Amino acid sequence: MVEAAGVEGTLDAMGPVLARWTMGGSALPAAPAGWRAALGNEAGEAELRLLALAGQFLGTAVIAEPAGEIAVAPDLPRLALPPLPDPLRARAKRVLAQLRSGESRRDLLDFLEGRGRTLHPGDWLPGPGDAVPAVYAPWQDWVTARAVRVDEDGIEDLAALGPAARRVALAALRARDPAAARAAIATQLAVGGADARLTLVETLGVGLSADDRPLLENLATDRAPRVKALAASLLARLGGGGYEAEAAELAAFFPVRTKGILRRTRAVAIEPVKTPAQGRRRAALMAEVPFAVFAQALGMAPLELVEAWPWRADTAADHGLATMAARSADDAAVARIADAVAEPAILAPLVPRLSPVGRHRAGLRLLQSGATFGQTLGVAGGSAGIDGAIRTPAGTALLANLTKADARPADATEELTALGLLASREGAREALARCGVAGLVAADPRLDMLRLNAALDEDPR
Amino acid sequence: MAIDLKAVEGLAADQASLKAAAGLAKPGKWTGTGRSHDGALVWGECAGSGANPYRVIGDLRDLGAKCTCPSRKFPCKHALALFWLDAEALVAFPAGETPDWVSEWVGRRRGGAGKPVSTAPKDLAAALAVDAPVVEDEAAVTRREAASAKRAADTERAILDALEALEQWIGDQLRLGLAGFVDEATVRCRRIAARLVDGKAAVLGGQVDEVPARLLGLPAGDRVRGAAAELSGLFLLARAFRGSPRDPELRRAVAVAENREALLADPATLRVAGAWEVVAERVRTRRDGLVARTGWLLNLGPEGPRFAMLTDVYPASAGRRGSAFAPGEQFAGELAFYPARSPLRAVLVSREAGDAPALDWPAPDPDQAAALTAPLLAEPWATERPVLLPAGRIGTDHAGTAWWRASDGATLLPIAEAAGLATATELTHAAMLWSGGRLELLAARTPWGRIDG
Repeated sequence: MVEAAGVEGTLDAMGPVLARWTMGGSALPAAPAGWRAALGNEAGEAELRLLALAGQFLGTAVIAEPAGEIAVAPDLPRLALPPLPDPLRARAKRVLAQLRSGESRRDLLDFLEGRGRTLHPGDWLPGPGDAVPAVYAPWQDWVTARAVRVDEDGIEDLAALGPAARRVALAALRARDPAAARAAIATQLAVGGADARLTLVETLGVGLSADDRPLLENLATDRAPRVKALAASLLARLGGGGYEAEAAELAAFFPVRTKGILRRTRAVAIEPVKTPAQGRRRAALMAEVPFAVFAQALGMAPLELVEAWPWRADTAADHGLATMAARSADDAAVARIADAVAEPAILAPLVPRLSPVGRHRAGLRLLQSGATFGQTLGVAGGSAGIDGAIRTPAGTALLANLTKADARPADATEELTALGLLASREGAREALARCGVAGLVAADPRLDMLRLNAALDEDPR
Repeated sequence: MAIDLKAVEGLAADQASLKAAAGLAKPGKWTGTGRSHDGALVWGECAGSGANPYRVIGDLRDLGAKCTCPSRKFPCKHALALFWLDAEALVAFPAGETPDWVSEWVGRRRGGAGKPVSTAPKDLAAALAVDAPVVEDEAAVTRREAASAKRAADTERAILDALEALEQWIGDQLRLGLAGFVDEATVRCRRIAARLVDGKAAVLGGQVDEVPARLLGLPAGDRVRGAAAELSGLFLLARAFRGSPRDPELRRAVAVAENREALLADPATLRVAGAWEVVAERVRTRRDGLVARTGWLLNLGPEGPRFAMLTDVYPASAGRRGSAFAPGEQFAGELAFYPARSPLRAVLVSREAGDAPALDWPAPDPDQAAALTAPLLAEPWATERPVLLPAGRIGTDHAGTAWWRASDGATLLPIAEAAGLATATELTHAAMLWSGGRLELLAARTPWGRIDG
């Protein structure tokens, strides 16, 4: 029937038929001529027969047309590391579903990178603004529809790179040739938005030197408050920059005393805070004064201040000094503080300033001093590779929690996942064995991260 | 860890459960049995009345159990039978990696759930006793058959009346205007769906209830065309049924599907033994309060239909059920297809134990246009059909609509909601649903491996 009328002719007739049905009423006068005989003479029946023919024609012989050309996204680029093999993907997906916050997902990504793998792109792709390891930069740029191959050695045309690839390339250049990176950053600062400028200025934090001062001083007048604050913080790390009066006022809260008879060493004391207003003033000053200026007001070098500080005497003061250091101290002072303290809350502000090795070292000490796996993970990150983690105080507490009389199925889920992210492969196997003895079945989904860890080879690189 | 029969007896809720379990504690009824490496868990799959087997897990530490069957008894006969099989070593429970569905249950369960809830006396020996067959006299058989024939005639009359009302309703929608129908589809469809259910046309009623959701899934400018196609399909089905009300395929589409036993007992049933891949599973809560779980299987062998659809429908109030299959899973097994002009719906008859070797997907049909249209010409009332597509790629047009384009450029088809990796690489093979003039990705093979839709 369709052939008799011709497909094109029938299709042309469908427009008026549908138009009449859209508004309501009979479409018989508009029916294709070739169908008339099949429709019959009884009006109601003919209308239904027309519907049957039209519906079947539209359903089988007509396909929509695209609006213009079809644009196809470029292939998702391959990363420098291979994705997880298929047999491990389901478990990784379950762990991913457990880790809801960006930070904890980052721990999983770091863990996998430490084992020479990435997540599979069928299971996860980074969002444009996510903080992800550098290895994912090509995917991140693909997601922002600007997929460009990352070539750390050839960044003559930085503008051609996507934002994530540009960040990675600049960080690599900064580590290799700080002056060239500074020049490239100065050029890029003129063209980017506030977020892009902030990322560029962050790159200066690595290998910061006095040569960066002129550029940072220019940024002190940037129109974005966040960029301005970051530039001021970096300038503070270089020393100088005022606040002498505030530092002197703050120093009055922390008198320096000498101790010892033969080897007289200097130690910082803490004056008791007498009123809440005084406490607030001390906190405000600590949030404002740069670390080096404060040390100077106490008559000390920055590293000397770290040694002379009475750690654990006043938690608020410890936290204030650690935050001050994270904001404005040089790398050496930050590393020394991380070595001096083993309190999760004090270490937390320092974490963004620590190298991966520094984070692992601080995390290990934290674990040995009784912190939980969750607290340790916050400091050490997801690629610590700790052996014998289940034999630490946190491990003992975890096993006790699992074997207590009123244990519930969801107990200790986060601790077990954190343990799975922290442990070395050998450490994960040992932990699985101990959890089995404690009564957990191997299939328990709380053990997913530990099982993923135990199943993954150490980094083949 | 071990269990003895005395414990199984103690666990049963009542004598009837024990009796039913005795009937199921036979190796032939079970596949996919296994045991965790630590010996704490046993699991297996037991053929039930649905298209999919029931998945059963037992925890030997506290005799906790879980089954995907809808029974309200706890433990159900399948769980008791699983413990029975283990206690008597009637089948092998090879130690192996715990399947995901077992892990999922372990993560959700509360301890101590397996303690006996009934202290009523139960007797294993009585459960094993064979009942004497009930002998019916000839007159009783005649009376029963006559009553059955009368019921069938009454049902058929009720369905035909309901279909007449449906045709009348379709004519009304055309007269009142499809623009108004699209705007008020939910209310109007609900009314006629209820009439169809009252008239014993329950399956068709369910389909009418889903029309509004399908229309809303279309672009706004395409809904009138979609409405015409939907109403056309309903009319064609109604008219086909009125023409041959005893046709099993039409009866299944309108009223009720044959039960599993009848299907398997029919020597004409198409049975296909071979290798299958689970390409996708879709779970949908329908407007009538039922949950439809549909598994789409791809036939990896040369014989039989390319796809099979395993559908089970159960009340949402029965709670969440575990999946019978994991997407991507391949297995060797036998399916029985419901008789149809273009067979698709099936039940799983048996499944071989052990892992099948990984197989490639078969070559797609060389004539894509025919593959897309032939099933819809044979069953114009079908709302969706699976298709296996050759190498292609997903892109977007200027309006942001997604399209699948064959690598040779010969075919271009609209596709619903494609994102992520599916749009970032070539799909070397793709299993899709063709529904309402649009594709829906079920699964695809890509240079990155298999991806799910």
